[in-house]
Amino acid sequence: MSKKQKSPVSRLSSVVMLFFLLAFLLLASRDGKMEGYILAVAVPLMIWFGTYLLPKIVPADQLLLSLTNFLCALGILMLYRTNTYYAFHQVIAYAVGLLAMLFCIWLVRSGRGWGTMILLLMFLSAGLLALPVFFGQVTNGAKNWLALGPVSFQPSELVKLSLVLVLAWYMSRRKMLPWLLFSVVCLGLLMLQKDLGTALLYFGTALLLYWTSSGNWLVTGLGLAGGAGAAYWGYTLFPHVRRRVSVWLNPWQETYDGGYQLIQGLVALASGGLFGVGLGLGNPTAIPVYESDFMFAVICEQFGLVFGCCVLLMYVALIWRGTSVAMAARTSFHGLTAMGCTIFLGIQTLLIIGGVLKLIPLTGVTMPFVSYGGTSLVSGLCMIGLIQGVASINEDDLAEDTHLAMLSR
Amino acid sequence: MIILKRQRHRFKVIALLLFVGFLLLGLWGIWSVRNYGTRWFSHASNPRLAEQKKNVTEGDIADRNGILLATTVDGKRVYREKSADRAALVHLLGDRNGQIANSVESFQAGYLYGVQSSLLDAVQHLTRKTERRGNNLTLTVDAELCSAIPKAFFSHPLTRGKNGAAVVMNYRTGEVLALVSLPCFDPDQADGETIAALDQPYWNRVTQALLPPGSTFKIVTAAAMLRSLPDAGDRTFTCTGSLQVSDQFTVTEYNHAVHGSVTLRQAFQHSCNTVFASGALELGDDQLRAVAEKFGFNQNFLFRDLVVNNSSYPRRNRTREALAASGYGQSAVTATPMHLCLLSAAVANDGVMMEPRLLKTVKSSAGATVLGWSSSSVCTVCSADVAEALQQMMKDVVQNGGSGSNASVRSMDIRGKTGTAESTSGGQPVNYGWFTGYNAQEELPFALCVLVEDIPEGETGGATAARIAADLFTYLRDHPDRVR
Repeated sequence: MSKKQKSPVSRLSSVVMLFFLLAFLLLASRDGKMEGYILAVAVPLMIWFGTYLLPKIVPADQLLLSLTNFLCALGILMLYRTNTYYAFHQVIAYAVGLLAMLFCIWLVRSGRGWGTMILLLMFLSAGLLALPVFFGQVTNGAKNWLALGPVSFQPSELVKLSLVLVLAWYMSRRKMLPWLLFSVVCLGLLMLQKDLGTALLYFGTALLLYWTSSGNWLVTGLGLAGGAGAAYWGYTLFPHVRRRVSVWLNPWQETYDGGYQLIQGLVALASGGLFGVGLGLGNPTAIPVYESDFMFAVICEQFGLVFGCCVLLMYVALIWRGTSVAMAARTSFHGLTAMGCTIFLGIQTLLIIGGVLKLIPLTGVTMPFVSYGGTSLVSGLCMIGLIQGVASINEDDLAEDTHLAMLSR
Repeated sequence: MIILKRQRHRFKVIALLLFVGFLLLGLWGIWSVRNYGTRWFSHASNPRLAEQKKNVTEGDIADRNGILLATTVDGKRVYREKSADRAALVHLLGDRNGQIANSVESFQAGYLYGVQSSLLDAVQHLTRKTERRGNNLTLTVDAELCSAIPKAFFSHPLTRGKNGAAVVMNYRTGEVLALVSLPCFDPDQADGETIAALDQPYWNRVTQALLPPGSTFKIVTAAAMLRSLPDAGDRTFTCTGSLQVSDQFTVTEYNHAVHGSVTLRQAFQHSCNTVFASGALELGDDQLRAVAEKFGFNQNFLFRDLVVNNSSYPRRNRTREALAASGYGQSAVTATPMHLCLLSAAVANDGVMMEPRLLKTVKSSAGATVLGWSSSSVCTVCSADVAEALQQMMKDVVQNGGSGSNASVRSMDIRGKTGTAESTSGGQPVNYGWFTGYNAQEELPFALCVLVEDIPEGETGGATAARIAADLFTYLRDHPDRVR
């Protein structure tokens, strides 16, 4: 490919950069804050770095990058619209996340000593996940936050990465016991933290990934039955889970009580209608905890449900891209790693948006790349990094094939 | 180690599974905003409404004959001129403090404040910088008929000062002609103390009161018997005045009547409890519930203009005693006056229930039509044959010396069913008088339901609610131009 020819993705990314430049300028001119102008420059710059520069440092899939960057920037825009402080936190997390993504690409490409590292990761992750059980802070009924001085984070977000790697590693080697044990320990610890949303996410990923690696219907079915049993057990055991289910079934019964958040989310969706009230307008802060759980409602109120569906389509494109990377992989481990990340992001998005739309009970997981939360954003970008790493190895393999074919001719 | 071809295939399957999830999400989102969007937006806890109200002048509301029911003059909301007229409309339109749920002024705020105005209007407002005025609504109601309802309650000694409700609708089109809940109050003059002295004045009994339907439920039981018991139409039942269901529970007749050997039609005419209790037992709980659900019990009605509480036919704790009592509309069977009106309307309309509607048209302040009239059916409650048989039974109730004789009106073809339901309120036994019925003449196709609360001991729906129904039917007969 010649360097002067621009790919459609590059052209699209220029439009995306322009969109965010204008969006931040609009918001900044409305409230007159300096921070808005800073973000108007910084966010497009970061998109530029993430989409154009990054593939020059390490080989990476540009479409996947531009989709991810768009979603991250959309999250920052929505957060700036509602709370400047959140937006700045998120920008820092975004920068850290981009670096972490680079690291993950490098990690997959380096490709040595996985065996020892996976073993180490397992113990480290289990330990990390056990910490909140003893030292955690309780938020929204779940005890899943850990405070280290000024920084507080959710270990369960970071352990997601280990889970995918552990699952992919042992599944590709057809060793069931280690990953099963690790998953069960993780699920148990999450149950102890009463973080059932994340537990559901872990469980779903492990189950689907197991099916893809083995195609064993019987064990998958058994796992599903076990999961349903555990869900019922959790339902009878934890009052906050029962509450969430009853609020989901009928939020209008407790308008100013348990159902308030969900109702405000639905009201925001309804007032946005199909085309939204417009950026900077509307009243998204009326939704409690809008910054993590209800970002989809915040987006839909201002940009409308049609745009919301486009955001859904972006996740679909992301999944499609992740799947094609997994399918092009040469080794089972790489394929399962890419697919594991894809499944994780897919289920997470379905869970939270389904909860906001009142299709399923609210699980309180974050909306990938968009929701406020440093750990969540970094881990999401790391997952993209893992997929990118696999993608770049695929590219190398393909290049090698062509090279060999040329030689043999 | 090398990736398997089959595994690749499964990657695709998983991706497809996730795509289906996203598709479902998108469709669900669009579907639910389309169907529930207005309801959600007009919810009382929406802070955006208050904001919109600052910038936009609320639109006018007129009745079907062009009588202005509410308008905004110099930033102040003005209702009808006479205090009694304002009071009769308070539950329909809404009070000044927004305490009445889902009244037109709160439920249709999206239209009244022009949130759902056309794009053209929005551009016009931007360019002309005129005062933003919301859309004007024309309702299907006849304001004079609404005012006649409190008067009718007042004119009969047995219902004077009683709480209750009445709703009148066109069973062919679904237009609601009147909707009044008592006690009502004048939104302009009643102060907090006066309102507080009333018994749940903010409650719109027509759509919100879930009460035992009593014998009016026999319409449903009769339909179930006609459908599922092959010889029900011809069989003779024996009423000995009581039916012992178990050691603890015996079904008795009102005023210790003994109806003797009766057909289903005669049992319906005289509202014989034991026949319908034994019918319910013979049908079984599942069959009776299935028919009740076809008639709209346990259903979440999603009417475009009205929010109606869900009537219920219970699914749990179904003992033999409860089943027998359900046959005549007691034992945790509950319904709203609106729903009981819909039952008669559906029977009158040959088994097809029309959606009750309040909005005739919505027009922008410039006069462009934002929403036109349309009527649609909700469901088919029973076959035309069963509806025909029910129509005959309801005719006997009113016109052949049955329990609803008081509802008959000269030169009209009134049919209906009475009900006297027993319940408790605050530990005290309370009796509710019901009448639901319709006029079978094609030129005046109207159905109604009247509820009178706390009727005196020993009185019936036939002595109370049926009389008010007769007054309302008389009004419809005398003012055909207003209501057609």
